[in-house]
Amino acid sequence: MAQRAVWLISHEPGTPLCGTVRFSRRYPTVEKRARVFNGASYVPIPEDGPFLKALLFELRLLDDDKDFVESRDSCSRINKTSIYGLLIGGEELWPVVAFLKNDIIYACVPLVEQTLSPRPPLISVSGVSQGFEFLFGIQDFLYSGQKNDSELNTKLSQLPDLLLQACPFGTLLDANLKNSLDNTNFASVTQPQKQPAWKTGTYKGKPQVSISITEKVKSMQYDKQGIADTWQVVGTVTCKCDLEGIMPNVTISLNLPTNGSPLQDILVHPCVTSLDSAILTSSSIDAMDDSAFSGPYKFPLTPPLESFNLCYYTSQVPVPPILGFYQLKEEEVQLRITINLKLHESVKNNFEFCEAHIPFYNRGPITHLEYKTSFGQLEVFREKSLLIWIIGQKFPKSMEISLSGTVTFGAKSHEKQPFDPICIGETAYLKGHPGHYTATWTTECAMSSEKLHFRILDYTLTGCYADQHSVQVFASGKPKISAYRKLISSDYYIWNSKAPAPVTYGSLLL
Amino acid sequence: GALGPTSGASCRLLPLLLGLDAGSDLGRGFVPASEQRPLQATACECLRELESCKPGLLGGSLGLLRGLLGQEGPVQPLSLLLALALRNTLVLQSRVGAGLGGLLTDKVPPTGGGPWDWTLVEEGDGRLQPQAPSWPAAEEGEGERSLTAREHSPEEARELRAAVIQLLDTSYLLTPVAQAQLLWLLGWALRGLQGQPPALFKPQLVRLLGTAQLTLLHAVLALKAAFGEALFTAQDEALLLRRLTLAAQHPALPPPTHLFYLHCLLSFPENWPLGPEGEEAAPLLLGPQLCRGLLPSLLHDPMALLARLHLLCLLCAEDEEEEKGQLPSPRHYLEELLAGLRQRAALDEGPRALATVCFQASYLVTRCLAGQPTVLTPLIHGLAQLYRVRPMLASHFVDFLDQVDSELREPLKVVLRQEVVSRPGRDEALCWHLKMLAKVADGDAQSATLNFLQAAAAHCTNWDLQQGLLRVCRALLRAGVRGGLVDLLQVLARQLEDPDGRDHARLYYILLAHLAGPKLGVALGPSLAPPALASSLVAENQGFVAALMVQEAPALVRLSVGSHGVKGPLPVLKLQPEALEPIYSLELRFRVEGQLYAPLEAVHVPCLCPGRPARPLLLPLQPRCPAPARLDVHALYTTSTGLTCHAHLPPLFVNFADLFLPFPKPPGGAGLGFFEELWDSCLPEGAESRVWCPLGPQGLEGLVSHHLEPFVVVAQPPTSYYVAIHLPPNSKLLLRLEAALADGVPVALRTDDWAVLPLAGDYLRGLAAAL
Repeated sequence: MAQRAVWLISHEPGTPLCGTVRFSRRYPTVEKRARVFNGASYVPIPEDGPFLKALLFELRLLDDDKDFVESRDSCSRINKTSIYGLLIGGEELWPVVAFLKNDIIYACVPLVEQTLSPRPPLISVSGVSQGFEFLFGIQDFLYSGQKNDSELNTKLSQLPDLLLQACPFGTLLDANLKNSLDNTNFASVTQPQKQPAWKTGTYKGKPQVSISITEKVKSMQYDKQGIADTWQVVGTVTCKCDLEGIMPNVTISLNLPTNGSPLQDILVHPCVTSLDSAILTSSSIDAMDDSAFSGPYKFPLTPPLESFNLCYYTSQVPVPPILGFYQLKEEEVQLRITINLKLHESVKNNFEFCEAHIPFYNRGPITHLEYKTSFGQLEVFREKSLLIWIIGQKFPKSMEISLSGTVTFGAKSHEKQPFDPICIGETAYLKGHPGHYTATWTTECAMSSEKLHFRILDYTLTGCYADQHSVQVFASGKPKISAYRKLISSDYYIWNSKAPAPVTYGSLLL
Repeated sequence: GALGPTSGASCRLLPLLLGLDAGSDLGRGFVPASEQRPLQATACECLRELESCKPGLLGGSLGLLRGLLGQEGPVQPLSLLLALALRNTLVLQSRVGAGLGGLLTDKVPPTGGGPWDWTLVEEGDGRLQPQAPSWPAAEEGEGERSLTAREHSPEEARELRAAVIQLLDTSYLLTPVAQAQLLWLLGWALRGLQGQPPALFKPQLVRLLGTAQLTLLHAVLALKAAFGEALFTAQDEALLLRRLTLAAQHPALPPPTHLFYLHCLLSFPENWPLGPEGEEAAPLLLGPQLCRGLLPSLLHDPMALLARLHLLCLLCAEDEEEEKGQLPSPRHYLEELLAGLRQRAALDEGPRALATVCFQASYLVTRCLAGQPTVLTPLIHGLAQLYRVRPMLASHFVDFLDQVDSELREPLKVVLRQEVVSRPGRDEALCWHLKMLAKVADGDAQSATLNFLQAAAAHCTNWDLQQGLLRVCRALLRAGVRGGLVDLLQVLARQLEDPDGRDHARLYYILLAHLAGPKLGVALGPSLAPPALASSLVAENQGFVAALMVQEAPALVRLSVGSHGVKGPLPVLKLQPEALEPIYSLELRFRVEGQLYAPLEAVHVPCLCPGRPARPLLLPLQPRCPAPARLDVHALYTTSTGLTCHAHLPPLFVNFADLFLPFPKPPGGAGLGFFEELWDSCLPEGAESRVWCPLGPQGLEGLVSHHLEPFVVVAQPPTSYYVAIHLPPNSKLLLRLEAALADGVPVALRTDDWAVLPLAGDYLRGLAAAL
């Protein structure tokens, strides 16, 4: 259950080593146990240098993938989890839990309390999930509110002290490193009995509860026979409960209007004390019917001090917020593009921003452009072979807008132009960003598609909301309740309907 | 030292920590009240680490810890410490078959707060040992054993249950990761324990199933594996699977979590598993409907793609027949996906990773769906097409061919070969074509291959290309192609610009012209010796040296001297050969030390196999003087791999008695007269002696019949025997054995050769013992 070592490595492509170890820690008592448990199959924790090299090689983050290297490229070396065996000095160090996020590689080696040959099944190693949670915890800590490199450095310098608390002797006690930080500050406060370990102090002040619901809408639109367009809403409910008392009991409920779309695939925060079985079983796996549970969704809980994600959910709304149509045809030296976007009438027409990105991959820079648009402005990024159609805050009354034109490209110069393995030939996409009722739209061109980016404030597609009556507090004083909502686009693709596009199995189920 | 296990400091450490932990006066005196709790917690962590490294250390303090948890102590550190100590104690006691006794209720540690004797733990069974897997499926037998060993009295069982419930009840006060540890420890501790219903865990499960925490779901899976149906009914199992399926694709969770959940799905501890253990398989309850969201698409990153592809393959393998009416069929989807991957791999500027994924996916498919031509045939054609478009992936193809089964390899080789030879190359892809051809060329379609090579030869202007070309020639040589290849090699030996290439071609030509097919195959096979120099010719030569020269090898054949037969005019040694491995064309060469005999002929055996009895070998001896001798033996043979080996065998000994021959019978018949005549003829040139020949229990008669029977001329059993022995080349030895006593017989002997006398004496004295 313990970790033998942990590393944070910054990935620096283009430098000789392609990375630097920013932080590393080894746990000698755990290592001692590993030597006994693993017996003849024991492989010691390597020095930082060799570890860095082996890990970057395994993760394919070294710059040299010019040549075929059997130990990396062989078809039989298939890795299906983020858990690796690293070849170091002729021996294989396993299991190494590692992943790359925001240019930092997070890695640790969990203790396996038995011999490693034959290799025990991964699922039987308890340290693996602990390792993941540990790394996620560090990642949250480093990136919560972090904006620049110096802040990152400050946080990295705090790590040794924090790990002393959060992971003494290599055994993880709390993946929420912020708790440990608070703990250090709170140390002088006398803690009452039965204080939960995840709550490091008590709140003093005016009671208030804030609930914010953020929905992201994803979509894949093809406009093709035999392929269904797909879209999905993913919701995150974030709460902050400032309430007095050691363990205040709170029930938060989420409501849907009568025509709202039921919430599914609900995952809750561990502080939720019990769950209705209807919430537990409502799932997108089943075919939808009218009997689907449509709330209210009640979550009894004992809140932690800090802001937390009460739950995540998905939902299948009846229509996508923006229906797109994108055609791209190659005509001798130029591309002819036609785009139509239609905002659904039920959707709030008040974006924070909305733009469509129309990227052209695997081509040279844009040399010439002629276009006509019914609404909004078009920005041209010639070197990046990208068009951005800025739609702004509102769709016109008709709710429908269009863009058409021709684009000509220069010769492809190697390194610089964007490469995309999917957008080949006429395959292209447009990507939109519906955002806080301000939507960004991006159109990218994979097999040619556009991608929308947008954001709409105070709105959810499912209709899900929380209000003054959503919070029941079984403690003295009526808290002030504030609720927020927003809708953001994420991965909102509209594919060129004139070329093949990557489909998911779901799109084939008509 | 000061910190050794028996030092005073060490002895005081544990009571100190326990005291701090208990918040006793000891601790209070140390720190202000406000710091009491963190101090207690830290003491707990230290104790937990000690217990981890010395399991059983705190076995005596279980009662104390329980009491603390019930009162005021910090919940999380104490819970984890108690759970760990409890787990270790139960495991240790099951090992020695003991019960818990009053450990859970005693509030005072056995040492009564005095110094701790660390060595006790060492001596007991408390040493750190590789744990039995915490995951039970791996060792059912072990589980059975512990089941019987871990029986507790009703009293103990009740206390144990109370302790576990106490821990579980406060578990919601722990952080999620600590809760998960607690569940792992308790699940492990209670597994196979009689009288401890796993239903204790049930109240926690619904709460845990609703969360997105990786550690918590993983711990639930551990409980599932530990208790199976006792804790999870079929419906529970289905619910757990659904939650897992959902978590494996939930957009709110990070990709590494998805992958781990997907792995958990394919290794799901089912109540009633059907397939073989330890192999990844889709659980029975995970039908196509559930899997729908878990299928791969081109938009996934490589790891997710491969993990999901595996699931898709399992689905395809499963409903081979059923799916007919289903639209879209998973198999069709699989085909489309592979086609998409190949299309990406074919991109000119694509990074290598794209090609790697394509081949990994293809490999995965061939592994899961072997024997399904509907999948493999399009795969083969798709790959051939990929090669046509992007020959620079030749290395991937070669690797792929190395990894897959012959079911796919052979047809793929054929289409790839066609792909290469059907377009005579002068383009920049020539080096890839040659690399490919070196892998796929064999005896089939010779003329097309040779034509391609002939055409290519003109364009092979640099060393690299020439080497590539020669590698193909080499592959053809190995495959036994002869006809057109001779011409090609001759041309190459003249034409190639590079001297190294010319030498090579000439070498191959000479080999082809001089060696028979099988030998050639061996000579060109993988080199046995690692190349010492980078030069390819040198490296290759080492291979030839190994194959074409005689190797010194340990002896694979044993020889023993068999029973001695006397026929014919010369003594003959009967040898029994025995092989340790099949060997062929065995030639045995003998050399007599000291030239006592005339040089010996070599003996030939066509074939020897272990386990198959071989005919004895007869080795005629031509002594130059009648004396025993040592034969030096060498063996020369061919192994089944075609190597010729030379081995030095242990020497063989020719004994004095091995040289004995009877006298030819005179025309008048052998009788007393004949013997007397021989007897008299020995003197005066010869020698005479009398020797005492000890007799064993068998008596004189037995001795004679066993050793001297063929040489007896006159016999009056059981008292008197006259023996005449001819010793080649021309000596005689005559014996009179008369008037035997109980323990021996006096032997009068005469010989015409002085030198024989001591040998004969030794021989006779040794007879009784030799029987």
